[in-house]
Amino acid sequence: MENIKVSVDLNKCVGSQLCIMFSPTVFERDGNGQSKIVNRNGANLAEILSTAEQCPQCAIKVENTQTGEVLFPPPELAF
Amino acid sequence: METISLNDDLMAPNVISDPHGYYRTLREAEPIHWNARWGGWVLTGYNEVVEVLRDSLNFSSDRMGFLAQELTQEEQESIAPIFKILSYWMVFRDPPEHTALRMLLNKHFTPIAIERYRPMVRKIVQKTLDKVLAKGKIDFVKDFAYEVPMTVILELIGAPDLDTEKIKEWSEKLGVFFFIKADEPRRREIACEGINALVDYITPLIEQKRERPGIDLISLLLSAEEAGSITANDVLATCVLLVFGGHETTMNLIANGTMAFINHPDQWDKFQQKPELLKKAVEELLRYDGSVKSTVRWAKEDTQVGNTLIKKGDRLLVSLSGANRDPHQFTDPNGLDIERNPNLHVAFAHGIHVCLGASLARMEVEEAFAGLISRIQCPELVEGAQLEYYPSVVHRAIKELPVYIKPLIK
Ligand code: HEM
Ligand code: SF4
Repeated sequence: MENIKVSVDLNKCVGSQLCIMFSPTVFERDGNGQSKIVNRNGANLAEILSTAEQCPQCAIKVENTQTGEVLFPPPELAF
Repeated sequence: METISLNDDLMAPNVISDPHGYYRTLREAEPIHWNARWGGWVLTGYNEVVEVLRDSLNFSSDRMGFLAQELTQEEQESIAPIFKILSYWMVFRDPPEHTALRMLLNKHFTPIAIERYRPMVRKIVQKTLDKVLAKGKIDFVKDFAYEVPMTVILELIGAPDLDTEKIKEWSEKLGVFFFIKADEPRRREIACEGINALVDYITPLIEQKRERPGIDLISLLLSAEEAGSITANDVLATCVLLVFGGHETTMNLIANGTMAFINHPDQWDKFQQKPELLKKAVEELLRYDGSVKSTVRWAKEDTQVGNTLIKKGDRLLVSLSGANRDPHQFTDPNGLDIERNPNLHVAFAHGIHVCLGASLARMEVEEAFAGLISRIQCPELVEGAQLEYYPSVVHRAIKELPVYIKPLIK
């Protein structure tokens, strides 16, 4: 997980807590009822990607910092 | 000086025809207002609305539980069929019961999962456009907006052949229960008729799927029941909820969105020139005149919201439309701007109950407008048309939208 960056876009997060339900070791509620990353290494990449898919807002971005590749969301889903 | 009096009649004709004007008056005076007539708080400020919606620990969605406390035993029995189903609707449940159902269903409603229905929706849209173009003068609600959402939800539950007219009629009857419609003395009986008919219609379908499972949502719910993670009541109630919640709101959004463009032809022109704005345009239609105006919560504990102390047991009408036009959150909130970004509206609510069907509704509305702008000119209201909205506190629903449809000359 060295080169993987996970982030939550607070301009999109609606505080559904779905990411927290699916990966409680990675995500946590912040003071505004939105999501924040508590431990990027709390789950393996496959789990993080499948949790990112659960977000109704596509607010969770998963990137490879070395190659710059965006692993999620695919461009056609981003709004 | 003009004095502003805060009218507490949420069903007053001017509130139904122009909810945005009414919520604006409230927000400017008191973003958290005690409505003595309804006996609860009305929230119209963005921050207040978002705070409550994201706080399911202090604010409950257990509508049937709180209703039971208000009703006599006799009254409760008179609406037993409603209790029997609606008590199991995830939208009216709190964690932990809500969590299991939501996690189960969410996987099938993610933005990615929904993409597989897009080609089907695109086809329905094209077919419907052929029909309305041939007619020229149409009721946009019945002839266009209605077609897509109903077909799609039946496809999703694996029952494409159900009678859509009947489902629509029964859903409307059940809807009377939510209308806070004090002037309809038979509202509870009508709603019971609606739910009984829906249950009688859907039950055999569930039994059929139990014997011959498919890849549809009913079969999925049934396998979760077999695994013991949900109950038979959950299965039936969820099917009714999907059929009930899955079409009207989306239909209304397509109609409200079209009405917004009729009033802002410059935005329609821009949209036609820049179709790549599709996703942003749909978000703006949701914000500008979303189809669900409000939802309700109940305080589980004394809780401070903004400057106001909400007492345990108090109910709150959370105005999504009010929040969506709050100038503290949105610049020029009463203008339609299909390029608005960011646009963190609350049209699907926020928090754990955020609309399960949001990605589905977005995709359907995207396809509807992608089809419209590629083939027709901005619809024109038929001269003398009187627009009327259903008298509901919850739904923003035009009864009829008579328009002329003309092909786009390229
Ligand atoms: C534009 C169309 C739609 C709008 C504006 C809308 C709006 C909403 C809102 C505001 C809520 C939250 C209610 C609350 O928090 O009290 C909600 C929840 C829900 N919606 Fe939608 N909805 C739409 C379309 C759909 C569709 C197409 C479906 C069906 C697949 C659907 C199914 C649901 C369900 C099951 C919930 C409950 C979710 C939960 O409790 O976790 N909705 N919707
Ligand atoms: S799933 Fe998405 S919207 Fe929900 S809390 Fe997580 S980041 Fe926010």
